[in-house]
Amino acid sequence: MTSWHLTDEEFDRLLIGEDLPPERAAHAEQCVLCRKRRQDFLAAVEVARGDDPDEATCASVRSAALETWSGSRIRPARWWLAAAAAVLLLVLVPLAYRSVAPRPSVNAEAVLEEVDAVLARDPLTAVAPEELVEVVTPVVEVSGERSAS
Amino acid sequence: MASLAWRERGLSGAEEQELVERARSKDVEAAEELLARHERAVFLACRHLLPRDEDVEAAVQETFLRALRGLDRYGGEGSFASWLVAIAVNLCRDRLRRRRLVPFVPLELGAEDRLDPVAVLPAPGPDPERVAMARQAAALMRREVTRLPRRQREAFALRFFVGMDLEGIASVLRVDVGTVKTHLHRAVHRVRAAVAEAMP
Repeated sequence: MTSWHLTDEEFDRLLIGEDLPPERAAHAEQCVLCRKRRQDFLAAVEVARGDDPDEATCASVRSAALETWSGSRIRPARWWLAAAAAVLLLVLVPLAYRSVAPRPSVNAEAVLEEVDAVLARDPLTAVAPEELVEVVTPVVEVSGERSAS
Repeated sequence: MASLAWRERGLSGAEEQELVERARSKDVEAAEELLARHERAVFLACRHLLPRDEDVEAAVQETFLRALRGLDRYGGEGSFASWLVAIAVNLCRDRLRRRRLVPFVPLELGAEDRLDPVAVLPAPGPDPERVAMARQAAALMRREVTRLPRRQREAFALRFFVGMDLEGIASVLRVDVGTVKTHLHRAVHRVRAAVAEAMP
């Protein structure tokens, strides 16, 4: 065993957990004063650390965290998944409604009859304004004087 | 330094990894076992990295919740304990930042930190003089630790109060072991000098 005590630097290395040269490590183990110095520091550490948390406190904190975690599991993991689902719903619901909703039935025969009737009366008046009809088909007036001569 | 050994309930790495896998698949019992194994370390880290008026239990609970929600991000490259304590350290930093207390300044010293005569009265037990000196030294140590720069304070707290080894601290602080040693040397140098006042 070397006779001189640990220097501050060596003592710090010992506390930190670094290796000392073998003969200095042996001195640290065997020297009463160096051992006491180290024990004093560690005793202060123990007191400064304080008591361990009690089991009841630990259990309470643990269960609160687990409860929140397990409760949140049913929620969507990502917010945008929920948003995408909502948008999809908005698009799909009207489409589905349209495909399902009943359409008014059309009586084709009655429609055709009506069209025929209009065309039979005067096809041009059915589709064109009155002024146009007059221009295209002017009314020929027969005067009484001319007929008399 | 047996008293400062990393205290875990003994399970192999493989068993712990299996617990992590089960917890990922929403096994509540496995998740609880994981938390229970490492809660002491998380408590001690929060206690010594937060100001005295902060709610340590709330910080621990939030750490657990962050860990459970982020289980998928745990890659298994380091120990689960280091990963969990790293979450606690980050949470404490967040809280301190929110309080604009970086660098840390204690709002008020705890009652046990005041060096009045009552605080150093001998306690019952063997060698009351040594116990009284340890109490006084502890008060000085706590006070000095709160005055350390953030990195030094974190390294000191993880080493001496939580009891982590150098590799574990390096993993938590995301620095190399040499940097951890540098922080610890500076911190121990200051703290030891303060403690020497009480324990000449």
